[in-house]
Amino acid sequence: MSAAEATAEMGIPTEVNNDRLAAEAFNTVNAQEFLDAMPSAAVVFDDALRIVAVNRRSAELIGYNPAHSIGRPLEGIFRTMFERYQRLQTVERDPRFEHHFNGSWYIVRVFPLTGAGRMSMRCIVAGDISIRKAAEFEARENEARLEEATRIAHLGTFKVVWDSEHVEWSPHMYVLHDVSTEFYDTTISNYRAFIHPGDRDHSERIYLDMIAGKAVRDAEYRILRSDGAVRWLRIDTRVLFDADGVPYGSFGVTQDITESKNREQELNDLLRRNATLYEALEVSPIGVAVLTRENERLDFLYLNAEFQRLSLHNSFSLRGHGLETLRPDGNVEAAWENALAALSSSSDGSFEMTCRRRDDTTFLARLEIAPVLDFPGREAVAYVLNLRDITVDRQRAAAMLQSQKMEALGQLSGGVAHEINNLLQPIIALSELGMNIAQSDPVKVQRYLDVIGNSGRKARDIVRQVLTFARRDTPDVASHAIAPLISGALDLAQSGLPPGIALTRYITTGETRAVVNPTQLSQVVLNLIRNAADATDGRGEIKVSLAAVEIDEIEAGRLDIKPGAWLLLVVADRGCGMDHYTVSRIFEPFFTTKPVGSGTGLGLSVVYSVVTGWGGSVRIESEVDKGTSAMVYIPVDPDSARDSGASDVAGSG
Amino acid sequence: MANILLVEDSHEVSLTVQEILSAAGHTVATAENGTQALARLKTGSFDLIISDIWMPEMDGIALLKAVRGAGNAIPVIVISGGAPNAPLTYTAPLASTFGANEVLYKPFENRELLNAINRALKAG
Repeated sequence: MSAAEATAEMGIPTEVNNDRLAAEAFNTVNAQEFLDAMPSAAVVFDDALRIVAVNRRSAELIGYNPAHSIGRPLEGIFRTMFERYQRLQTVERDPRFEHHFNGSWYIVRVFPLTGAGRMSMRCIVAGDISIRKAAEFEARENEARLEEATRIAHLGTFKVVWDSEHVEWSPHMYVLHDVSTEFYDTTISNYRAFIHPGDRDHSERIYLDMIAGKAVRDAEYRILRSDGAVRWLRIDTRVLFDADGVPYGSFGVTQDITESKNREQELNDLLRRNATLYEALEVSPIGVAVLTRENERLDFLYLNAEFQRLSLHNSFSLRGHGLETLRPDGNVEAAWENALAALSSSSDGSFEMTCRRRDDTTFLARLEIAPVLDFPGREAVAYVLNLRDITVDRQRAAAMLQSQKMEALGQLSGGVAHEINNLLQPIIALSELGMNIAQSDPVKVQRYLDVIGNSGRKARDIVRQVLTFARRDTPDVASHAIAPLISGALDLAQSGLPPGIALTRYITTGETRAVVNPTQLSQVVLNLIRNAADATDGRGEIKVSLAAVEIDEIEAGRLDIKPGAWLLLVVADRGCGMDHYTVSRIFEPFFTTKPVGSGTGLGLSVVYSVVTGWGGSVRIESEVDKGTSAMVYIPVDPDSARDSGASDVAGSG
Repeated sequence: MANILLVEDSHEVSLTVQEILSAAGHTVATAENGTQALARLKTGSFDLIISDIWMPEMDGIALLKAVRGAGNAIPVIVISGGAPNAPLTYTAPLASTFGANEVLYKPFENRELLNAINRALKAG
């Protein structure tokens, strides 16, 4: 092989003169000179594997003077490379290999040379390919990294060559589609079957647009896996171009976005629900505001339409201000203090207070406060306020109360008038008749005067009772032992009872004292006995008991009195009894169940008025045809309770 | 002179009206309520009824309804304890509606009652 042939064989660029003369001239070129001009390292050796020639690049590489190398065995200088060559030579006719030496990579080739006298030689040429090798390594490393990244990100990759049916899938694509790498054939038509029927047209259009060169779009669609699961996939696609710039296929990355799609759906649902809640709050007929804690102070987060209408504020005018903005200047209502205290103590409450509108006018409001606690016992993160204008309600209630008062007054005056009119009748009529017969019939006149006097006294009694009821006169009260007073009143009552009625007494309170007026106490006892006697229809038993009792919290709540030591007077009969309706009205003045003339209709209302005046309470329990019990609770005088020693006696009756 | 049935539950008023009527020469029978009055009407013969309104068992209005309902045109004078405009006396105007000839409000003068009796007897 000539030097020219060797140059061509090695692909080393050399200017070749096709001119015949130039070719002949080339044959005269000194082989050593030729070798030295080569950028690759070259060593020539004979059949005995002894070095015949070394070029300049080769000498630089191994650091040997070429003169010293000639005649040495090849093995001594290029040992490792030689060993590889020897191995390869046994299997390949024209061995070539890449060899790493002194930190660089070489492509090594060996080819035969024929010298003068048919002397057989071979030449080793080693070209430096370090730069290409480095690039190769980097590409391989990048590829490995990409593979690792897609694996970590659960990304699948695929490649489609448009005029073929086949699709190339990365291993994770099989995982995403839940199919076996062994049995699933990755073709376009097989893939189509995966796509959710609702998304098929959409995804198909994206694919066709890409092939037609119209647009390259990312796609999101659902697939139906063989296990029945519906998964959302996101596909990012790039078009592949051949060396001539003609598109021939596409490369894509597939990602399972089901979880984020679900989260997106949940978020949308949440937003829609919030929107509905918001609309509901806006149309609420009650003013609603939300206060939240920001930077350690409460600020208005939200006001609904009604709250804005009531306060004339909007969320901007209240921003940065607390609830105090609604408090009129100089307002000292306790309700305001309590409401503000509730806001600083994470507690709730309902308050009636004067509120100030933005235009400084005021209205009477009911404000309800409810704390929003993210954990029970923790400080509230927010408060919900409900605001109502109760000015009109209050006016209505006041008007109602007034009309009830007028009705009661009318009833009272009508009742009083009826009784007094009946008593005035004999006074007027008999005084006139008496005058006519003053001389002729003095005995009759005496009888007339007796009736006139009695009528006058009865009228006086009625007026007194009315005044007691109205509490115009407030008799003096003092601490008295109650048992003796009750006994005295019962003695008085007994004398007026029909002979068929028995009065039974159970009085166990000894010296227990209460703050009362003795005359009023007699009045109470007499009224109750008279009612009981009237109910018994002239025959039967009236039981009267007086006991010291201890009222606990539960009982106190039921009776609407304070817990503690009380005297309980019970007057019970087994008479006709009363229905619920009658019991409910029994304390009304002039409400009577008795035949007209039998009573004034004032008895129980006087009892009620007197006993509540002492701080006590009256209860009536009754059942038709079974009887009635009147229970009078009188508070024990706290100053005497200690030494009375009677509070351990249980009540009866 | 007339034979009069007086229906009144108040002892004082009944006694007083009896005295007025006797002094004027009328004869008087008494009843304490409507039921007693109807019993008296069955057995006795009367020229006139004087009745209170608000009475136990059977009140004056019920008595009036019963009398007129039975086709009895006997003159009736109603004496009411309430003032004309007081809430409890709504039954007094009602008495006229149910056929009372006269309505008097207590306390009345003796003359007023006697005049009313005369008018009622003439009308009857």
